[in-house]
Amino acid sequence: MLGLALLTILAIVAAEALHRHIRLPRASGHMLVGALASPLALRLLDRTELDPWKPLLDLAIAVLVFELGTRIRPAWLKDNPWFALTCVLEGALAGIVVFGFTLWLGAPPLAAALSATVAMSTSPVITMAVLHESRSRGQVTERLLMMTAINSVMAVFALKVWRVAAAAQGSDLFAAVTSALFVLCGSLLLGAIVALVLELVGRRVRDTSAMPVLQMAMIIAGSMLAVQWTLSPLLVLLVAGMVARTRMRHGLTVEPRLGSAGAALGVVLFLCLGVLMTLDGLVQLWPMVLGILLARLVGKGIAVFALARPSGLGWRQAAGLTIAMQPMSSLAVLLAADTFNWASQLPGVEQSLLQALLAATTLMQVFGPVISTVALRKVARETPLD
Amino acid sequence: MPLAAFNSSQPLTLGVELELQLLSTHDYDLAPQAEDLLRVLERHTGAWDVKPEITRSMIEIGTSIQTSHGSLLAELHDLRRQLAEGARKLNIVIAGGGTHPYQHWSEQRIFPAERFHYISELYGYLAKQFTVFGQHVHVGCEDGDKALWLLHALSRYVPHFIALSGSSPFVQGVDTGFDSARLNSVFAFPLSGRAPFVLGWEAFGAYFDKMASTGVVESMKDFYWDIRPKPEYGTIELRVCDTPLSVDRAAALACYLQCVCRYLREERPVEPTEDDYLVYTFNRFQACRFGLEGDIVDPKTKQRQKLRDDILRTLARIDEHALDLKALDASALIRESLFAGNDARALRERRGVVRGLPAVVEWAASRWMG
Repeated sequence: MLGLALLTILAIVAAEALHRHIRLPRASGHMLVGALASPLALRLLDRTELDPWKPLLDLAIAVLVFELGTRIRPAWLKDNPWFALTCVLEGALAGIVVFGFTLWLGAPPLAAALSATVAMSTSPVITMAVLHESRSRGQVTERLLMMTAINSVMAVFALKVWRVAAAAQGSDLFAAVTSALFVLCGSLLLGAIVALVLELVGRRVRDTSAMPVLQMAMIIAGSMLAVQWTLSPLLVLLVAGMVARTRMRHGLTVEPRLGSAGAALGVVLFLCLGVLMTLDGLVQLWPMVLGILLARLVGKGIAVFALARPSGLGWRQAAGLTIAMQPMSSLAVLLAADTFNWASQLPGVEQSLLQALLAATTLMQVFGPVISTVALRKVARETPLD
Repeated sequence: MPLAAFNSSQPLTLGVELELQLLSTHDYDLAPQAEDLLRVLERHTGAWDVKPEITRSMIEIGTSIQTSHGSLLAELHDLRRQLAEGARKLNIVIAGGGTHPYQHWSEQRIFPAERFHYISELYGYLAKQFTVFGQHVHVGCEDGDKALWLLHALSRYVPHFIALSGSSPFVQGVDTGFDSARLNSVFAFPLSGRAPFVLGWEAFGAYFDKMASTGVVESMKDFYWDIRPKPEYGTIELRVCDTPLSVDRAAALACYLQCVCRYLREERPVEPTEDDYLVYTFNRFQACRFGLEGDIVDPKTKQRQKLRDDILRTLARIDEHALDLKALDASALIRESLFAGNDARALRERRGVVRGLPAVVEWAASRWMG
């Protein structure tokens, strides 16, 4: 426990120094310190030591996902059907292209489908961290938020389908289908209930300093209940954020990261993501890793560019958006797992493909904030520093 | 560059320009998305025009040349519909109002165009503080002499337009107490205020040449006067109005100006003199500060009365002209608003009903978007 706490302090100082000198996004700095302490380098911490921290990290993710939910306006999809189509298509195409590529490499369909699922989503935590730090505002920023939310939800759905498909090979198909439906409906319902309770109780503490505390408490409750009932915390918190914003309108003020407590949680989260990084076998697997990353880039890029003009986006912005969406995470999978060693819980997945997938995720996690920041600052030109 | 020749245009034709706010649907703060909206509107159907403005959260729209209230209003409604549709596509909304109630001027970004960068370099932070939103109305004149005569004859009525259009009570999060706080930003510019009292176009050309020879100005665009001639268009341009919260009021204000101009041209109730300007800044201040409740001093009779009463009397005098110009609906709306109050009052009342300024801005946007 003490080790991680000390490491957190070190991460804050180091990330700040790196940010000042080479403008490295702080999230990347935190992850680098984590990676240095991990078995990859100095072996100060072992991955299994993080398991007791998982509830705290789930909470850190929940805070960012809730905030993401409050930032998006679902009615936009109705106002701009071309954009709605882009959202669905980019997630789907990223998945399809990666599926095709891994299948072509000779992976079994089930394993290829899993990599497709992971490839679909943009990391919500990296997106939020980058937006907090760069303070970007504009069309690409707005679209990045919406697309991150949608492709994350799609990844959750896809993972459920994958589990059903995986179960279909066994004998408990019925159980898998009902479990998937239970998780999806239950998550939506719990999310809505969390938001409604927040609205109801929030009336009593409106415009006071108790509001962020109440928000945090509701997020803890939602997150804990989701885990206890084996629902999807990501879906629960995203729906909670969206419903709370729609219901409470201007009555809901969400501070970035829900204030300093959320910011501290964020540091621990990125540090732990750093510790969890794995590049095992990268030397042998690099063509596969590169292939997965390129396939994903192509899939997302095709959708964004093909529908850029009808949906009202310029070419330069389309490029910015495609790049900004590259940060990858295993959150959809991670949040559904009981421990960080989720890979071992997935039956029937070939080890080398899984390794390549983990390495690709690692690379897109650590470089994600840099890539996304450059896309917003230099390509889309939406940060105040231009 | 010498002063351009005054292009003749059909007298009393109208053109309306409105500077509009682009807002985020998340926090209702200004959204730097002018380029996006301009792109979406590239292929709009309509004779109207849409252009960038100094910062990236503003756009300016301009109507085609109009002769009557009905056609002007129809064009403004069509323009509003297409603009609102484009904005929704981008997840932003559009609002009127002379100022944004809580934007931070330092966060505004200059639109990437040569002239705006030049203004930004020259005026420094003033350029970003110029993130204010006005309505400009052009009135056609047959020649330069008549344009200058009308410009000075109109000076007495400038407070009417300030008070009727006042829609900028809030600045940087606080109620300034002014109905039009926007004009305070305009007055900060060195070449703001009123045009010099020159009645002939030739003499005006000589004045312009003298100014240009000092290197202080390069074109008419460098003057931020309340009313200025626009020789390229063959118009005079009234620039004191805040952008109203709705296009209906914008059209009514333009047609009220058209009626006053016709009244002045045809009845010639007064001849403008330099002394008219003795009370000009006092009257203008009263209109900015107190709106329709302010006082106005008649430069000829030296009588002081409430602006509301002065506008009422003017409405009575121009009635026949409103009839001839098919602007009775416009003058009825102006008369109505004398009692209902201007948009500044509506914004203040709204603030009393809802929680916080973002909700006030959302309401203002819903009024503009229709």
